[in-house]
Amino acid sequence: MQISKSTIHNWLVVHIEGQVDSKTSAQLNDYLAAELANDANIALDLRQVPFMSSAGLRTLLLLYRRVEALGFALALVGLAEDIADTMKVTGFYDFFIVLPDLDALQTAAGTT
Amino acid sequence: MDRIDSLPTDNICGQRVRPGKPLPFGVSHVPGGLNFSVYTSAGEQCTLVLFRQGAAEPFAELPFPGHYRIGDVFCMVVFGLDFEDLEYGFRIDGPFNPDKGDRFDASKILMDPHARLIAGRDRWGEDPDWQRIYPYRARVSLDDFDWQGERPLEIPMQDLIIYEAHVRAMTQSPSSQTAHPGTYAGLVEKIPYLKDLGINAIELMPIFEFDEFENSRNHPDTGERLYNFWGYSTVGFFAPKAGYAATGKSGMQVDEFKQLVKSFHKAGIEVILDVVFNHTAEGNEHGPTLCFKGLDNKTYYMLTPEGYYFNFSGTGNTLNCNNPIVRSLVLDCLRYWAAEYHIDGFRFDLATILGRDPWGAPLPNPPLLESLAFDPILSSCKLIAEAWDAGGLYQVGTFPAFGRWAEWNGLYRDSVRRYLKGDPGLVGQIAQRVLGSPDLYRMSGRAPATSVNFITCHDGFTLADLVSYNSKHNEANGEGNRDGGDDNHSWNCGAEGWSDDPGIQQLRRRQMLNAFAILLTSRGTPMLLMGDEFGRSQHGNNNAYCIDSPLTWVDWNLLKTNAELQAVVKALIAFRHQHPALRVNRFDGPSSSLLPCSSFHGSTPWQPDWSGESRQLAWMMSCDHRSPNGEPAVDIVYVATNMAHHASWFALPTAPDGYAWHICFNTGDNQHPILVDQPKVDSGLLVGERSVVILQAKPRP
Repeated sequence: MQISKSTIHNWLVVHIEGQVDSKTSAQLNDYLAAELANDANIALDLRQVPFMSSAGLRTLLLLYRRVEALGFALALVGLAEDIADTMKVTGFYDFFIVLPDLDALQTAAGTT
Repeated sequence: MDRIDSLPTDNICGQRVRPGKPLPFGVSHVPGGLNFSVYTSAGEQCTLVLFRQGAAEPFAELPFPGHYRIGDVFCMVVFGLDFEDLEYGFRIDGPFNPDKGDRFDASKILMDPHARLIAGRDRWGEDPDWQRIYPYRARVSLDDFDWQGERPLEIPMQDLIIYEAHVRAMTQSPSSQTAHPGTYAGLVEKIPYLKDLGINAIELMPIFEFDEFENSRNHPDTGERLYNFWGYSTVGFFAPKAGYAATGKSGMQVDEFKQLVKSFHKAGIEVILDVVFNHTAEGNEHGPTLCFKGLDNKTYYMLTPEGYYFNFSGTGNTLNCNNPIVRSLVLDCLRYWAAEYHIDGFRFDLATILGRDPWGAPLPNPPLLESLAFDPILSSCKLIAEAWDAGGLYQVGTFPAFGRWAEWNGLYRDSVRRYLKGDPGLVGQIAQRVLGSPDLYRMSGRAPATSVNFITCHDGFTLADLVSYNSKHNEANGEGNRDGGDDNHSWNCGAEGWSDDPGIQQLRRRQMLNAFAILLTSRGTPMLLMGDEFGRSQHGNNNAYCIDSPLTWVDWNLLKTNAELQAVVKALIAFRHQHPALRVNRFDGPSSSLLPCSSFHGSTPWQPDWSGESRQLAWMMSCDHRSPNGEPAVDIVYVATNMAHHASWFALPTAPDGYAWHICFNTGDNQHPILVDQPKVDSGLLVGERSVVILQAKPRP
């Protein structure tokens, strides 16, 4: 899994490439924990994530709870259709701001 | 800070381990690892077998060292496992003496009886690899669902209207127009419909992991594949069926089913599970060794002195429910579903088996039933017994209830069915049934809501078939029409099966409305079968347990075809919710300010005709209550039933001062069975042949 970051429209965007499962979720978790200190709304760029396991979805929800506690927003960008569907039927989906692409961050910025 | 037991002490077969803790049973997360715990009283050696997900062969087999055993429990912590890519089982070595009840076999890999997530049957009907050494594979579940404050609803039993449903049958048909047909997620898509219908509890036929391929065969004539469609044969008591989950292929059935419960609760609908503790999927001595047989055969099963399996369930074996070990397992299981899944109640299949001793004799105070009745975690769960079993023990009315248990009232079904088709000698029975069966439940101090009233359920004809067939037509089951009950008390209204005769069609529709009208104006807890409200048919099959086809799937097109029928059922449900007099939960309840709590009538008020040839009975129910704006009010409902083939005059009881009778439903009016304007009725009314009329007394303006 490759992780990088950038800033777009006042969002801290974390770009992820590769599948998120129990083998990689700890790495993602550690990376995001460090980024929480930046006091910013966080967007996860998931356009290059083909699959998320149960553990991967749990990482997202944990992150949501942490960001929420700090008073910031968390957005998911470019979710694969399969992942979105799994998230909907298992109840994970409703927690997040879900955006189709990075351009949408510009208008979503006001939601915090 | 790290716990000092977070480090391994030993190395077994390349895995870092330490002695585990015996409780909780099964697998649990501990710092840095997983704790495995399994019970066997006579097993001598135990080995933990670890697989990568889906792998044919294990990657490690870890014998438990002697000092990893506490009492009869083997327990071990294994560190550094990837829980998501793990499937585990046990080998137990011990004596193989079937005549003494021992069937240990170290060549088998056994499933953890506490497994909360089971792989191996991840997609419904997809043929597995039949040669697999470990077919049903225990996995690790996190059980960390975010309920966001959602809790069980705790609706009083007497206020429930239960809808019995099969997860797959509800939405598998393309006519359901769901995005996830045949699954938990598909059922969630039907919540708006169910909420609109007005029911407030859904009772799901078995959702514990079972194997649809158990006893699977092809129909001898048609070649059609036959399954265990209903699922009354448990593989794992702690795991939701993976093949019912849209996400079963990714092992997320636990989350999907919890999301289902959460969604139903948000809609104000309770979730009741039909649970099968009377037997397991391991069958008799010819059946497979999957779990209990190899762990501790004579603890888990009722055995004859020669070591054969008692068969009180009619399915090969009988779980030994009043053995203390099994009792704990059942209790652990129900507590788990109540606490972890927020389940609102349980319906126990063939529940009298739960009251038999290890040799099959009925116990006067069965410890298991008592434990369940008084359990602190289950205290607000509904407990509903199917109070009979295949061994001939019939306990409707005498089931050991401990003040807690409700029962499927088979007598209600039979009495109402016979009354509906015009049998003589039924009015006395009907009087008991519509009051919640005081003849069965009053003496033992129970209440009307003890009686789960139903006319149809999964087992038997659908309602449309009840009025369309005189006899069962079970050829599709491949058993030469020998299976299924013959005591259906059904009447085809003049032709067997489908008929284009408008008179027959009209009569059938009226008979269905009569059934719903009686059911929904009876005291007790009413239960409907899925799809009956819009005339679902199984073409006369009264035992479609093995059919996975459009025959058993709910055909949602009927909702359009029979929209009027469904509209009346919906209105009757709403009427029941509006009228507390129909839900009084006391026999001999207090009179209202104006009238007795219940009374019976005939052509002449206060004088029902109790004679054998009578086919007319009216009941009036009344109670004091608070109107929606908090004012004291009196609720008065009058129901006149005429099951004769001629119309009959019913003079009405005089309405109390300041009140007038208004007619709300008349099943004899083919055009307008719901009287939207509720016109006033003075002294009496003519009730048409085979018809039910429902009135309420309202204060005069």
